[in-house]
Amino acid sequence: MRSTFDQAAPPTAGTQPPAPWAGAKERWRRWWSARLPRTDTLELTQRNVYILPTAAGWMLALTLFVLLVASINFQLNLGYLLTFLLAGSAMVGVHLCHATLRGLTLRLLSPEPQFLGAAAPLQVQLNSGARTTRYGIGVAVRAGAREWAWTDVPAQGSATVQVAFRPERRGLHGVPTLMLETRYPLGTFRVWALWRPAAQVLVYPRPETPAPQLPPGEPLAGAGQAPAHGMGEYDGARAYRRGDPLRLVLWKKAARSMATGTHGLVSRDTQEARRHALWLDWNATGLAAPEARLSRLTAWVLQADRLGVAYGLRLPGRQIAPDSGAAHRCRCLEALALC
Amino acid sequence: MNLAGRLARLPREARDTLFLLAVVACCIAPLAAHIPPWASAMAATLLAWRGWLAGSGRPLPARWVMAVLLVLAVLLTLVSHRTIVGRDAGVTLIVMLLALKTLELRARRDAMVVFFLGFFTLLANFFFSQSLPTAAAMLVALLGLLTALVNAHMPVGRPPLALAMRTAGRMALLGAPIMVLLFVLFPRMAPLWGMPADKPGARSGLSGQMRIGSMASLVLDDSVALRVRFDTPGGEPPPPGLLYFRGPVLTAFDGRDWFALSQPEAQAIAWARPSPAQLRVQGPPLRYELTLEPHQRPWLLTLDAAKAAPALPPGQWAQMSPELQWNASRPVTGVLRYRAESHLRFTHGPLRRTPEMRIYVQLPAGLNPRTLALARQMQADRQLAGGGAQALVDAALQRLRSGGYHYTLDPGVYEGEHTADEFWFDRKEGFCEHIASAFVVLMRAMDVPARIVTGYQGGELNAIDGYWTVRQSDAHAWTEVWMEGRGWVRVDPTGAVSPGRIGQLQRLQAPRGVFGTAVGAVVSPMLLQDLRAVWEAVNNGWNQWVLNYTQGRQLDLLRALGLQSPGWQDLVRLMGLLVCAAAVIGLGWALWERRRQDPWQRLLQQARQRLARAGLPLPPHLPPRSMAAQARARLGPSAEDAAQWLLRLEQARYAPRPAAALPRLRRELARLRWPAAQSRGTDTP
Repeated sequence: MRSTFDQAAPPTAGTQPPAPWAGAKERWRRWWSARLPRTDTLELTQRNVYILPTAAGWMLALTLFVLLVASINFQLNLGYLLTFLLAGSAMVGVHLCHATLRGLTLRLLSPEPQFLGAAAPLQVQLNSGARTTRYGIGVAVRAGAREWAWTDVPAQGSATVQVAFRPERRGLHGVPTLMLETRYPLGTFRVWALWRPAAQVLVYPRPETPAPQLPPGEPLAGAGQAPAHGMGEYDGARAYRRGDPLRLVLWKKAARSMATGTHGLVSRDTQEARRHALWLDWNATGLAAPEARLSRLTAWVLQADRLGVAYGLRLPGRQIAPDSGAAHRCRCLEALALC
Repeated sequence: MNLAGRLARLPREARDTLFLLAVVACCIAPLAAHIPPWASAMAATLLAWRGWLAGSGRPLPARWVMAVLLVLAVLLTLVSHRTIVGRDAGVTLIVMLLALKTLELRARRDAMVVFFLGFFTLLANFFFSQSLPTAAAMLVALLGLLTALVNAHMPVGRPPLALAMRTAGRMALLGAPIMVLLFVLFPRMAPLWGMPADKPGARSGLSGQMRIGSMASLVLDDSVALRVRFDTPGGEPPPPGLLYFRGPVLTAFDGRDWFALSQPEAQAIAWARPSPAQLRVQGPPLRYELTLEPHQRPWLLTLDAAKAAPALPPGQWAQMSPELQWNASRPVTGVLRYRAESHLRFTHGPLRRTPEMRIYVQLPAGLNPRTLALARQMQADRQLAGGGAQALVDAALQRLRSGGYHYTLDPGVYEGEHTADEFWFDRKEGFCEHIASAFVVLMRAMDVPARIVTGYQGGELNAIDGYWTVRQSDAHAWTEVWMEGRGWVRVDPTGAVSPGRIGQLQRLQAPRGVFGTAVGAVVSPMLLQDLRAVWEAVNNGWNQWVLNYTQGRQLDLLRALGLQSPGWQDLVRLMGLLVCAAAVIGLGWALWERRRQDPWQRLLQQARQRLARAGLPLPPHLPPRSMAAQARARLGPSAEDAAQWLLRLEQARYAPRPAAALPRLRRELARLRWPAAQSRGTDTP
């Protein structure tokens, strides 16, 4: 809203005092926000459902007017009946249209975290206590090109629709304002509601692709021995030995080594992992730009998680001890997102 | 593969398009008889083409094809109607546009255009017929259009059409009260501009001129010409012999055709007189309300003779001709109802012979020599010499009575040019117009001014609704003879030939067609007559209450509501009042709906209030079980009943049919003994 307003202003707007309506616009926006408190469940009532005629509605009004004039001019009492029946049906249609949204309860299922660059899906549940089905309800993100997701809500039941938005930065994101709309049954009126969900979406940094290999592990304090891999490549793998559990097999590496025809299966070297700790360090990414560093760290976290090795994360002002597993991965990604 | 199965398997878009095409065809089909044949054929072809495209999933034609077709349609309309404005050309154009637009269904906007053109087409049907069957057909078509419209706004999946149909029906049903209200209260006004242009003579009825033989077709026509409700006690009609409904008066004769006076001739007569018809009446008037079927001509039928102008709807007025005939200011193109009053005892016309009488004794030269001879012979008769015109009339009637003349509907064609001679001397049979024509020729030949009056005579009572019904088969021609000192006197020579034709309301049964004979063989004629009476009563009700709901009726309604001198402003005010009332009701309903609570929750809320009064305020989120536990713990055994009730309330919430237990719980709540308020004792100092 704000940005379009700025673009519309003349180029010299910066040097001039703000337009007199700028204050009014700001007040309008504040009043509007106050009317639409952020909430994760919203019941649509007469207070927050809006209705206005569409272009087709105006066309119908014109049609009714012409029909009426024709009835008067040709003195057709049946013409009057037709005109008034159509008008009556249209009036009932207004009520039905409004009732399609009125009384609906909206619930946002808590959104999953997403990586930057991917569309963040939002699951909206529509619950209806009405005795009849509500037809033709569209849900869309208000900003940008509205891509409507259409659904019917069964009587005394619920329907779930999925809409998506594309976050523009990492971190915690408020869910954008959603819009519900219906034109059922005649298309002559548009009934809509605006909803500002309170939930927030966590957006992880965009993982770097293609990502460089993981950094070398650091020797654990107290292990005594010098680092095993002077070349600085943390490998953490060794040839498969009979009796290794299947979950230790590194299938990707195995596929690669089989393709070159050298070895058979490759297993994770838990010994190695015990001797070395893998630290993903903010200062050891070899990059300068902070976002690029975060991107690389994210890619590494994902890579290490795929390998199933334990890894730790060092960020400015925060350090996460080496560990593995889904919870650890989440913790690391969250730290990267909010860094 | 059967058709139903194929339709059920069609993809949604194809199914919707086919349904819309069927509805469009329903809207257009009744118009086929009224638009040029090329338009019907083109519309049918376009719809069939579109249906084939939809069924086979082919792309729509290119825009240039549409443009060519449109130009073609407009050109053909121009050729057929010589214009593209005006009613008939407009109807043809709308039908063509509607058929063409179905080939251009690309976006939602196009679909909406089809719907709106469809509504215009529905209205166009009413130009040609406003009968009950037409109304029913158009109602079906309107529901079809609404169904298609609703279906177009159900974007998800492939909902069955029956669902959309139910919604459309519901909207129409709920919209009907609004329709009735607007129909009753919307002020009726005169046309804003222009006049209904209609082809004259398209329908049967009196034709304003009379060719010997043309009336036979009318006699065979059983359709209703007019209906009357008499203001007499019990709606009793006057004696049958006086039931003459006056229509066009025919004065000029060319030997074969009778014509009415031309406009300048009538004007000349009117100027020479103190009042147009010089009507002199006796006795009290007979008041009645007459509903005239449209006949596309300006004349109004009144019971002989109406002194005051019939009360026409606003914007029209009636004028009396010098021949005592009432004409409306414009042709009767729709069912027209008016009140009139007639005096059954009257005389009219000048009492002394005036120069204008010349035109009433004119005869075409050289025709009917034998009738002229008969006239000379009668004039020379000594017995008749002193009796004047009355004696001559009596003698002519006597001749009709006793001269072997017969009344028949099937006299054959009068081929010769001497039609009066043929009747008087050769065939000696005919029906009213032969008899009346020959009679007037004879009178004029004896220098007695005479003329022919056409109209309707008789009628029958419809036992279902009490209306006096006059049919086209009651069409009749009688004569008026001018007599010195009396003016114009009605003489019905047909009555002399066939007394049954006049007065006793007997009809010669018109020969039945093959179908009529076949039906008559299976169904008793009485039953058919009863069925016809019911149908005509329904139809008359439709005419009276729907087609003829005029400003007069509206104002009658306001008077019945107690307004002294209502005008159209009162109608608008009443409409505004009702709109306000509806708004208030709507507001009240909205408020009520906002407060509305689940009935179970309401019971719980009441219980919570009672407990609070007893000194145990509980937070609103507590379930009944916890409330019961709290009550037992804090209020002791006196709260046991209430606790039990709360537990039952909880059970009801999870019962298979929760609503069933609620009335019982409500009754129990009313009887429940609640613990006395404990706080009272401790709080009192």
